[in-house]
Amino acid sequence: MRVLVTGANGFLGRSVVQALLAQGHTVRAMVRPATAVESLGWPASVEIVRGDLRSTRELASAFDRVDALIHLAAAVTGGEDAMFASTVSGTERLLAAMAGTSCRRIVLASSFAVYDWSAIHGTLDETSPLEAGADLYRRDGYSIAKSWQERVTRRFAAAHGWDLTVLRPGFIWGRDHGYLAACGQQIGRLHVVIGPFSRMPLTHVDNCADLFARVVADPRAAGHTFNVVDGPGERIWTYLGNHLKRSGEGGLRVPFPYTVAFGLVRLTFATLFKRNEKLPHVLIPCRFESRLKPLRFTNRRARELLGWRPPFGYEECLRRSYG
Amino acid sequence: MRVALIGAGQIARQHLSCLKTLPGVQIVAICDLSPAVAESIAERYAVPAWFTDHAVMLREVKPEVVHITTPPTSHFRLAMDAMQAGAHVLVEKPATAALTELEQLVRYANERQLVLTEDYNYVFNHATREIARWVDNGALGAVVHVDVLMALNLFGPGGFADPNARHPALALAGGALADFLPHLASLAHRFAGVHRRAHAIWTKRRPSILPYDEMHAVVEGERATATLGFSANAQPDAFWLRVFGERAQATTNLFETRLTFERLRDGPKPLQPLKNGLEEARAVRRAAIATLMRKFKPGPGAYDGMWHLLTGTYEALARGTALPVPIENVIAVNRMVEALKPAEAGS
Repeated sequence: MRVLVTGANGFLGRSVVQALLAQGHTVRAMVRPATAVESLGWPASVEIVRGDLRSTRELASAFDRVDALIHLAAAVTGGEDAMFASTVSGTERLLAAMAGTSCRRIVLASSFAVYDWSAIHGTLDETSPLEAGADLYRRDGYSIAKSWQERVTRRFAAAHGWDLTVLRPGFIWGRDHGYLAACGQQIGRLHVVIGPFSRMPLTHVDNCADLFARVVADPRAAGHTFNVVDGPGERIWTYLGNHLKRSGEGGLRVPFPYTVAFGLVRLTFATLFKRNEKLPHVLIPCRFESRLKPLRFTNRRARELLGWRPPFGYEECLRRSYG
Repeated sequence: MRVALIGAGQIARQHLSCLKTLPGVQIVAICDLSPAVAESIAERYAVPAWFTDHAVMLREVKPEVVHITTPPTSHFRLAMDAMQAGAHVLVEKPATAALTELEQLVRYANERQLVLTEDYNYVFNHATREIARWVDNGALGAVVHVDVLMALNLFGPGGFADPNARHPALALAGGALADFLPHLASLAHRFAGVHRRAHAIWTKRRPSILPYDEMHAVVEGERATATLGFSANAQPDAFWLRVFGERAQATTNLFETRLTFERLRDGPKPLQPLKNGLEEARAVRRAAIATLMRKFKPGPGAYDGMWHLLTGTYEALARGTALPVPIENVIAVNRMVEALKPAEAGS
């Protein structure tokens, strides 16, 4: 099938393009107008369409003869409003263009950021509550934008009768993306690891991309939402140790109990900082939890419904990321 | 007072944060071309209605005041439509893309006896007000010269020079820099008065999609001279305002809280630099801490000028008294802006 991929030259997008090609699909990669595609090493069979979801006037032609859309484009940097405009308004413009075409299959890259981490205890899975209402706006700009992107996409899919699959990756890691927010607080060569024995909802970028490439052509996935993690996840202490060693960055890990850290954050937020939401993320309780809360994670639904197994084990992923 | 906003981007959120704190102000609706932006802002700020068509909004909710917080080239049409619907208008800077458009708006506002005002937030920052107080009580002496220089990196990703998505401000004469001219001109106008003549030099130092990245100008005002500058290249980011009086000089960085004075003092002349220097050092140290602490406190933060201006505007509207930015000032500032604009489109 011919698959249009937005955000195709992003961190996840590059792996998704490779995974789609490996599974025999024709890839149409949407990249921004000023992107240099030569260095991406894509074969000539990859069709390039240039567009910026924020501003390109005509997006419908990108869907010409396209069977499915994998929508990965989202802003990961910039201010809160710029992120919203890029991620959410961009999605509105893209899907409005799609509505006038024959393409009826869409796979959206959502995120673990859409979950209400404060309300979840035990295992986080696809049935866990989503952040909503006034609480959503206490979260960081990325979480707000991704929540609204998923909301907008679901509305479009319902209105037009599209087959939608939402994939919510956990923390995606890979080459040059090894140091994650959950690793803790870096102070010079010291790494304060908050909750060192907590597990991280990790998915290696190549494993994550494999699931995207599989679900797009799998009718069993239509209408479903899947969390994307490689398994129960490594412990922060182990993962960070591997990263520091293999990346050559070095540094000293200092363990700090989660409950003490979270207690301090809650106390200072309510008293000293007077519930100010302009603070750094780690000082705001709900944002602290969405990065560090010790929960359990599972890919059971993808396993049971689609028979998915992440193709690469942790050791192989380390080799791919640091080798 | 029933208030609606057209445009729900970053600056609209600053307006909303302030409006929520004002007594007697009821935010009745918000409008944006993006349904998700409009709906999310309505949800976030508990605004009861949201729209994607401003004409429908004006018709259905009949606001008494409309804030125009969209990209500048849309201001004229939206402000005119809002006034035709009978609403007072507070427009974000720059009020219009061309002076002729502003003059049309002013004529119409006067005909309908409506308020039309523009957001000159830096004129109402704490530091600017403090300098104005020194001017008004004579401590600074008569103002001789004003120097306004904004240094702001416009080349970051997703900003004014993003080659992927053309920023709306690039449609203005002078490009992105024109978006900042009202800040410079409103401060020059505050301390030097109405301009008599102006000469601006627009240049470009580095390749980008911006037609210009430097603007430096000399202005003769009715009370003093002024030099105005914008640099997209000078770093770090800062917004320097210096007011030179006959008895003292004031310096502030309006992106921070730094405000220092150097003044003539009694006593031995050789000790004056020492006394001024020690006083300045204390003020800079205090301001450095205050600027950091501002980030940790709720409230307006860097937008304290806007909050002060909006508070004053709504008090004036309620009492029927003089506005913080009366229409004469809007005209004078926009005439100065027009005089500063480049003769050529740039490249």
